[in-house]
Amino acid sequence: MSDHTARDEAIDRFAAINSTYYRRAFRRIGERRGYVPSLNIAAAVLGPVWLAGRRLWSAFWPFLVADLLAVVLIAFALGGGASAGQSARADRLETLAATRLLEAKTANDRDAGTPIAKSLTRSAAALEQAAKDARQAAEDARTGAWLVALLGTGMLAASRLVAGGLANHIAERRFRAWRLEGDAGKAGFSHLHAAGAAALLAIFVPIVFLHFNDRTLFDAFPSDPAWNSGAAAWLDRFIAAISSAVSPAAGTLTKAINGMLGVMEGILTQTPWPVVMAIILAIAWQLAGFRVFLLTFVAISYLAILGYWEKSMQTVALLGTAALISIAIGIPLGVLCGYNRRVAAIVRPLLDFMQTMPAFVYLIPVIALFGIGKPSGIIATIIFGIPPVVRLTALGIASVPASVREAAVAFGASRTFILFKVDLPTAAPSIMAGVSQTILMCLSMVVIAALIGAKGLGEDVLHALQYAAQGQGLLAGLAILLCAIVLDRVVQGRRVQ
Amino acid sequence: MIELEDVWKIFGTDEQAVLAEARRSVPDDAVLKRLRAVIGVGGASLSVEKGELVCLMGLSGSGKSTLVRLINRLLEPSAGKVRIDGGDILSLGPRALRELRSRRIGMVFQSHALLAHLSVRDNVALPLEIRGVARTRREDRADELLVRVGLDGLGDRRVAALSGGMQQRVGLARALAADPDILLMDEPFSALDPLIRHDLQTQFMALSRDLGKTTVFVTHDVDEAFRIADRVVLMRAGRIVQTGTAADLVAQPADDYVRRFVQNARLPARAQDPIVKARAIA
Repeated sequence: MSDHTARDEAIDRFAAINSTYYRRAFRRIGERRGYVPSLNIAAAVLGPVWLAGRRLWSAFWPFLVADLLAVVLIAFALGGGASAGQSARADRLETLAATRLLEAKTANDRDAGTPIAKSLTRSAAALEQAAKDARQAAEDARTGAWLVALLGTGMLAASRLVAGGLANHIAERRFRAWRLEGDAGKAGFSHLHAAGAAALLAIFVPIVFLHFNDRTLFDAFPSDPAWNSGAAAWLDRFIAAISSAVSPAAGTLTKAINGMLGVMEGILTQTPWPVVMAIILAIAWQLAGFRVFLLTFVAISYLAILGYWEKSMQTVALLGTAALISIAIGIPLGVLCGYNRRVAAIVRPLLDFMQTMPAFVYLIPVIALFGIGKPSGIIATIIFGIPPVVRLTALGIASVPASVREAAVAFGASRTFILFKVDLPTAAPSIMAGVSQTILMCLSMVVIAALIGAKGLGEDVLHALQYAAQGQGLLAGLAILLCAIVLDRVVQGRRVQ
Repeated sequence: MIELEDVWKIFGTDEQAVLAEARRSVPDDAVLKRLRAVIGVGGASLSVEKGELVCLMGLSGSGKSTLVRLINRLLEPSAGKVRIDGGDILSLGPRALRELRSRRIGMVFQSHALLAHLSVRDNVALPLEIRGVARTRREDRADELLVRVGLDGLGDRRVAALSGGMQQRVGLARALAADPDILLMDEPFSALDPLIRHDLQTQFMALSRDLGKTTVFVTHDVDEAFRIADRVVLMRAGRIVQTGTAADLVAQPADDYVRRFVQNARLPARAQDPIVKARAIA
């Protein structure tokens, strides 16, 4: 019994006003399983305003939206619904018919029976018919509008009924959560919040009605196209300034990338194909076992027989360069993020940005800086490919158990020792997952890289796209897919099996 | 010999302000909450003789694990003096501190804290690797220690393949690898089941008698403390409540808290042994 009183006292504090009602209601709800019918009149009448006053936010927003939707339907119907447009059209057609009729009459008076007069009379009759049709359509729409109005009213009523029927249940749930919160939880009815909700309704409902009364008022956001073009022009100048400022550095970078790419391409395409194939197969066997070896064999056969060998080696050289650079930058950056929370807080949104921004958007400044060609393709690929390795390296480093690191410190380990002998080996599985993700991301960029002049398999897909050559496109696409699968499996090594 | 003199450790943003407050009077929880600080260790003084085994005992959160980490500066004391064989370790530079840790202090952790990617042998040899000892020499030494802790022949296993008790033996072997003269043991046997714990205690007592290491052993288990310790230090809320032999704590508890803490403890025969007592007093 004492528990009951404690509960009742808590309900008193929680409800603040009308607490005897809530004592009874909460008890009724608690006494049976499942839904117990319990209509809260205040909630049904006030709807979102009541929910706001009781601070039941997760219910407040959906019911507010339901109310506004109902209001939109009603306002739409009262504003004449679709009939407004139809009547306007009928009016236009009628005036047009009248003038046409007048013209026909003058033409007839002057010279009856001429083809012109005849066609004018016909046209006037046709217009008159169209006007009549429009008038009829408007009439139909007007009856339709009543249906819409009915629907809106029904929706409002239903939403309020549901709000009233659920109110006590929602409040009871909130009450239980509130008891856990202790002193921190706010209780009672907040007139301030209720007033806020009422103000929201008081602003939005008139706007809805005004809009359907005069559609020009809130037709489009009053934005000036000059703002957009002004901002774009400012960005143009900004990018131009930056590219002229860093163009020497960009030139050096381009040269460096070209050099790396040259070496890779030299190895992969200049070496006789039997040697390259044998080495790739040997590496696959060594790193990933017999099954991956078989897969690699099938993939290489496909590429070679269908004549994609050289192009696929160009592609692998391109994305290999991009992936190598990504990994060389990404792992140290990831380690830094794993150690330093502040760096991670800066880098993470940047990575999100790099992964989410469509490649076509950053292609523009990349081309502005590095020109068209392979280096630009590689840089665009790096931008898209680097996030996974950074993220997963950071995750791996951050999840090295603190106790393991502490033990190393306790035995006198230096920071370098901890990094290379404790953290990196412990994080290795995560880092390798990041590396493999990065390689796949890089490969998914080959078509886009081809768009700005990088040769390889992407070029074939691009051609197929331009000439709607479905067969060609599929074959080249499959070639890219095979490259990706083989690379992924080989890099993953034996762990996957 | 380890000496701690009025050592404080305060966790929080403004250590010195809290320290000044705490030195004046014992601050209540509201004050600490306002200052967003926690007193880990408050004014602890303790000296551990050469070859002595001292148990830090207390409930979780009483500051015993913090105190043991102040000895090798895994945590930086907020105030006070820490001396090992008379040498002030708080004045050591980073290099000298690493040197001290790798040569003179071995540590065992409750969570084993072994490196999962290394073999058992390489884990044991880790302190020697840190010190730059050549591979064959450190492997020989590791094998020797594995025999010592009863894991002979398991050097090539992966750490994860071992049971909890065996992993803790690896941890112990690792702590002994560099032949330090001080052992710090942070609840080494707490996570083990009772039978294995008892076995390991027995084995550890024999080992510790053989080797004569100065040992600070953290535990929340009164029976464990009374069984293995020469002297017991009982801590509460960061402060040392009483220091003495097991018999002292039972016969003359400093206050009610100590009485309640030790009332159900089994006092082993060893505690009454005059030789042990004499050693503890010396």
